[in-house]
Amino acid sequence: MRNYSMLLQLLLVIVLTACYSSRRSKGGGQTNVPAIRETSPADIVLPEGYTAEVVASGLNFPTAVCFNDEGVPYVIEAGYSYGEVFTVPRLLKIVNGETQEVMKGNENGPWTGIAWHKGNFYIAEGGQKEGGKILKVTPEGKQTVLVDGLPGNGDHHLNGPVVMNDHIYFGTGSVTNSGVVGPDNADFGWLHRFPRLHDIPCQDITLAGVNYEAADALNKKGGAQTVTGAYLPFDSASTEGMVIKGKLPCSGAILRVPLQGKELQLVAWGLRNPYGLAESPDGKLYVTENGPDVRGSRPIWGTGDVLWEINEGSWYGWPDFMEGKPVALFKRPGGAKPQKVLQTQPGEVPKPVATLAVHSSSNGIDFSTSETFGWKGEAFIAQFGDMAPGVGKVLSPVGFRVVRVNVNSGSVEDFMSNRGKKTGPASWLGTKGLERPVSVQFDPSGKSLYVVDFGILQMTGDGQSKPVKNTGVLWKITKKSSL
Amino acid sequence: MKQMMIVAGMALCIACGSARRMPEGDMQGARENASLENGRHQYMKYCQKCHPMGEEGLGPALNNKPTPGFVEKFQVRHGLGAMPAFKKDVISKKDLGDLIKYLHTRKKAKRLS
Repeated sequence: MRNYSMLLQLLLVIVLTACYSSRRSKGGGQTNVPAIRETSPADIVLPEGYTAEVVASGLNFPTAVCFNDEGVPYVIEAGYSYGEVFTVPRLLKIVNGETQEVMKGNENGPWTGIAWHKGNFYIAEGGQKEGGKILKVTPEGKQTVLVDGLPGNGDHHLNGPVVMNDHIYFGTGSVTNSGVVGPDNADFGWLHRFPRLHDIPCQDITLAGVNYEAADALNKKGGAQTVTGAYLPFDSASTEGMVIKGKLPCSGAILRVPLQGKELQLVAWGLRNPYGLAESPDGKLYVTENGPDVRGSRPIWGTGDVLWEINEGSWYGWPDFMEGKPVALFKRPGGAKPQKVLQTQPGEVPKPVATLAVHSSSNGIDFSTSETFGWKGEAFIAQFGDMAPGVGKVLSPVGFRVVRVNVNSGSVEDFMSNRGKKTGPASWLGTKGLERPVSVQFDPSGKSLYVVDFGILQMTGDGQSKPVKNTGVLWKITKKSSL
Repeated sequence: MKQMMIVAGMALCIACGSARRMPEGDMQGARENASLENGRHQYMKYCQKCHPMGEEGLGPALNNKPTPGFVEKFQVRHGLGAMPAFKKDVISKKDLGDLIKYLHTRKKAKRLS
């Protein structure tokens, strides 16, 4: 009897500590911003034998790094951050910790990725104002637009690029959280700029006729409710059996163009926000996908970010499957089961290579190719970290680290994070370590991993983003024995 | 009274003990054991996304809970609060045993603070 009583009390303790609904969100952005961002590699924890150093700091929303043939690092600054903060996108050469401007872009960020290939840079221009573009830039800073008019004005942008098989591969993010335009998109800012914008399928789809009522975010109906269907503009209802014509360019997809530009080709679709693209040592294309949030007219709860191997022609399930599973499984506590919006499924949904933490914002990816660095063949993924409470509630900061993934087993392990009793950005922990790792890139030798740290991005209690300019850092990780 | 102190002590452990563990190295032993390696695989498939590295995330931390294995098995089978139940057709009896073994190995790994 006594043991039974003990067990009951123990269960009570577990229930109290585990109760999701009664706890407040404690995301990594829910913190006070320090007056100055300082850095100290000593505040970062790595596996034994590895060391961190600061290569450059004071960067303004940096998102990616690449190397020329001589191994000189070049960083891009995004020119845009969530929170509707527009700055000037820039390509910077890093020499002895100092930055030299190679070129400036237009107010059409965020620049999300860069690749170096045979003497030129290729930049993914996110497209918040003019739509996504792929830019070709010479080392002297002369730019050519290879492709424009790509999706990128919505919640998610143009991502990538990676050069493979004489083509530039890139990702187009979805316009919305889960297929339906709603008041959350007005909060992002873009719905006021583009009130008719919506997701575009890559192939014809047939809708189930599921619609969502929401507040009149554009204040055009005198406060009356709006009704919106998937793949349609705000306040446009769908009907059962309605066919939405597929076309290129489309949103939520992997596309490619030849190195010279011209013909746009579909690689894969049915993705939400395919952010990081990388070629594995055995020549396969892998993509990180940011899972949906608990927001908007069709909130989805509890879906992890995903690492996919991309098979040409495949449909990856969004907006009716997440992590390769039916959307009905991702019901928020106390909420209704999300319904499918498609009447017919465009294809079989593949299984993910790995499922990453919910709201971790798993972004840039690269593969180790070096025995010297270690974990040859494993993927390294930068986790920007949660944007709670805007994306939903978390009990503690999620992400804010670099993980390594064994693509054969799907095993995810910690590689780089901050010291402390909890994981979190330096501003949350009160230390001088990592803030928000957004991408990773091995140098040409494969012996050092460069980590691009976006800098501080605070989240307000009502879910708004408050990025802090000039707080970005470029870190370099090396194995001590290979120094 | 003694019982209450034990429970209070456990609650204190839960509230204060760090759930963080040193990366790599410490888990090398798991890779040499087929049962633990299967447990790791099950953990990555079903647990990792809400309890990343056994820490708090969408769900509570696991590494710092002094919960006995049979209670953990009960919780996995029946769910708790926002956590879904994983029945035998999803996680077999053997896989669940391996998963709990892996979880306990992880709990014993070197703490990071």
